[in-house]
Amino acid sequence: MPVAFVVWRTLRLGASLPDTLAEVPAPLWRTVQLAVLVSATAAVVGTGLAWLTTRTDLPFRRAWRVALVLPLALPSFVGAAAFVAGLAPGGVIHDALTAVGITPPRRFRGLGASWLVMSAFTYPYVLLPVTARLANLRASLEESGRLLGLSAFQTFFRVTLPQLRSAIFGGALLVFLYSVSEFGAVQLLGYDTLTRVIYATRQTDRALSFASATVVLVLALGVVVLERSQRGRTSPDDRAAVASPDNVRLGWRVVPAITAVLAVLAVGLIVPLASLGTWARRGLADGRVAWGDLLDPAVSTATVAVIAAVVAVVVVFPVAAAAIRRPHPASQVASVSVVVGFAIPGIVIALSLAVLTLNTPVLNRFYQTSGLLILAYVIHFGSQALAGTETAVRAVPESLRESSRLLEPSATRRLWRVDWPLMRPGLLAAGGLVMLSTLKELPITLLLSPIGFDTLATEIWGSYEEGFYAATGLASIALVALSATLTWVLVLRRSEAVSS
Amino acid sequence: MASTPTTASTAASTASPVGARPTDRLAERHRHAPTPTPAGAAVRIDGVNVTYASSRRSGTVEAVRNATLHVEAGTIMALLGPSGCGKTSLLRAIAGLERPTAGSITIGDRTVSDASTWMHPEQRSVGMVFQDGALFPHLSVADNVAFGLRSASSRLSKRDRAARVAEMLELVDLADYGDRLPGTLSGGQQQRIALARSLAPQPSVLLLDEPFSALDTALRLQVRADVADIVRSVGVTTVFVTHDQDEAFVLGDRVAVLRDGHIEQVGTPDELYRHPHTRWVAGFVGEANLVRGRLRSDGTVDTLLGRVPVGTGAVRIDRDAPIDRSGAVAGDTSGEGSPVDVLVRPEQVDLRPGDCALVTNVEYYGHDVRYELELDDGSILAARTKSGDLHQRGDRLCVRFEGAATEAWSADGEDVEGASTLLTP
Repeated sequence: MPVAFVVWRTLRLGASLPDTLAEVPAPLWRTVQLAVLVSATAAVVGTGLAWLTTRTDLPFRRAWRVALVLPLALPSFVGAAAFVAGLAPGGVIHDALTAVGITPPRRFRGLGASWLVMSAFTYPYVLLPVTARLANLRASLEESGRLLGLSAFQTFFRVTLPQLRSAIFGGALLVFLYSVSEFGAVQLLGYDTLTRVIYATRQTDRALSFASATVVLVLALGVVVLERSQRGRTSPDDRAAVASPDNVRLGWRVVPAITAVLAVLAVGLIVPLASLGTWARRGLADGRVAWGDLLDPAVSTATVAVIAAVVAVVVVFPVAAAAIRRPHPASQVASVSVVVGFAIPGIVIALSLAVLTLNTPVLNRFYQTSGLLILAYVIHFGSQALAGTETAVRAVPESLRESSRLLEPSATRRLWRVDWPLMRPGLLAAGGLVMLSTLKELPITLLLSPIGFDTLATEIWGSYEEGFYAATGLASIALVALSATLTWVLVLRRSEAVSS
Repeated sequence: MASTPTTASTAASTASPVGARPTDRLAERHRHAPTPTPAGAAVRIDGVNVTYASSRRSGTVEAVRNATLHVEAGTIMALLGPSGCGKTSLLRAIAGLERPTAGSITIGDRTVSDASTWMHPEQRSVGMVFQDGALFPHLSVADNVAFGLRSASSRLSKRDRAARVAEMLELVDLADYGDRLPGTLSGGQQQRIALARSLAPQPSVLLLDEPFSALDTALRLQVRADVADIVRSVGVTTVFVTHDQDEAFVLGDRVAVLRDGHIEQVGTPDELYRHPHTRWVAGFVGEANLVRGRLRSDGTVDTLLGRVPVGTGAVRIDRDAPIDRSGAVAGDTSGEGSPVDVLVRPEQVDLRPGDCALVTNVEYYGHDVRYELELDDGSILAARTKSGDLHQRGDRLCVRFEGAATEAWSADGEDVEGASTLLTP
């Protein structure tokens, strides 16, 4: 729906369309540049780290495996804010550099800065699927490579890597999509991508705003289509591994390996947290900020996130159930459209819903209500609930439903005694993922939240704009703590359960 | 486009002999068989231990203990044992996929593994076919077969490589499958391609790790026969692992029986079946009755089935201490008259009219019939006879030993309860 609306508005521009479009190529080129650089970096870093932590004798592999996923808990706009604040006079990086006698860079913005920040927080999207793939890759493939005359190194490139291709590709496309839709980080780092144009011109130059939104949309959907077609072509080899192959002995290379891991962690986790933590501590010390200030935003954040999660699962459940129990063209279309919601950048959804409600008399009063906000979250993150919900539906197969019907005549009691216990893990995972994304979401919240309704994300944003780094730091720490807990529960515990 | 019909007809005409091939596959194969590598290389394993770091914290598990085995060049050796006996670990040690903690392994005249030497798997010139085939799913069948021909050690020209691939595909009778992806092949075809892939670089030793166990029964027999045929025509030294005694006996020139990481006995299938060294081997390689009897000074044994000759003259204390024909048990003071257990295979039981045993079960197999009989002392005896004169459940008969000399073990060993014990593999 929002898709059609934005495209329609763009096409209605008529005569002014060529003029408007003339302003698009420059930000489009910047967007593509950033997305390509970030996804390539994420692919290399993610794959390399996955290999290091699963296939070598690197010390403390298990600890690294956990730690390396944690940057996922930092929203990239928080990361960007942390770097800028850290480089500002009085910031951790600034002080550290001064201490060793290096003049800190005065500016931290533009392509290079955006690339560094975005790569540091997105490589786990590649790391996770590649680690999973490596863990269940049949050892006999790599052993065959060795026996047919390849060294361990050659085996990685000629046997292992081709098997990882689809995992790497899938992860990198996700990163690409993420970079194209990214708004917060590029806005903070002053890199003019399409999303930034959409935001900046949303009130002053509607035409350009809509045209940019359409272009972002086409780019994002193009990537999704590409991903789908690629997925169809690779023949999945999903036979499980019998034994895990011998780990590669690193020898002296353990030093550069650990250095690389630490460098990634430093950029993705340690430095941002230290920077935010320092500002927060200073603010708390001189009494300019207090944990109590965060109570309201934290409560609203949690409330909105939980409601969005529940609504998303409730909305998506029938779609998942239909797609699995009664596969039918219509149900396929429904499930695809849920997935497409994720591909549409959040800012485009927010923009179209805002304009739609503002310009439609009947819907007018819904603008900047929490209802509309939650609707936007559900449209955007519904697809994240899909996989978990599908797992939940599969947990109660047809035969089980039939046999429980014979044993327990009451439908409600059946729901309670059979369906709920079996579906619970899947549904909780689905809701948890939606919650996690909602917590970290910025543009939708920024554009659609009711006046005076502060979440942690808008709190971080607002205080940063005012240069009030202490408040930024404190709110960020709270947000990171929340999302780290959820990430831990949803991603790490589950992947550990799979690997053990 | 206009030329399409001609190409199609040429293709059809060349295709027809291919279609006709299955009728004389064997003849065809031998005509195309590559000149055998001069009999492959002998494999010598001396005192090898293989140890695993245990998944539990308690340390290590010894998978193979002090294994010594010599495989003559150009022969097929089967490693037979129940799951977890260490046979696969031993195979992987030969391949270089596991590093032994003790002992040495020699392939041909090269020591590939001992206390000071370790040759990486890719340097050993060893081919291996895995249980799952392990074909590279991203490569076509032809590229899979060519894989080992493109490594640093091989300096074949592109044309020679293509010729070799064609030759190997011909050998495994899948000449037309070069362009297919492994995922589109049946399990049996995948195993044949895996065999072609491992034979293509002309390894000095071929290792097969339960290569047929993933196939269903009917297919397994066919693929097994094909593989045996191919391996023999190439003449490569072969070591294969199996838990299936039939498979070991049918394919192996010699068979090594493993139990708990230890090689119990090595011999030809016939030696293992007729003269097992231990009761355990006797029971593992086929159905066995152990009949209690008394040893006589002439090396025969008196039992309920009559007098049984103990052929090699060796009455064995369980495991490995043999006693000689005179009846003096080495390491044991009991001599003549001491109780022993005699191995009687079911087909060595002759059924006669009489009234000393009750038929409790009849299994009709067509080529023969298996009976279970209850003797008067309550013990159970299995017998196999040619079908023909059929007995019914509840019939009463007499049983006699009828056959060549067999083996006996001192009864002090284990299980002294009944007068006969039935061991089934």
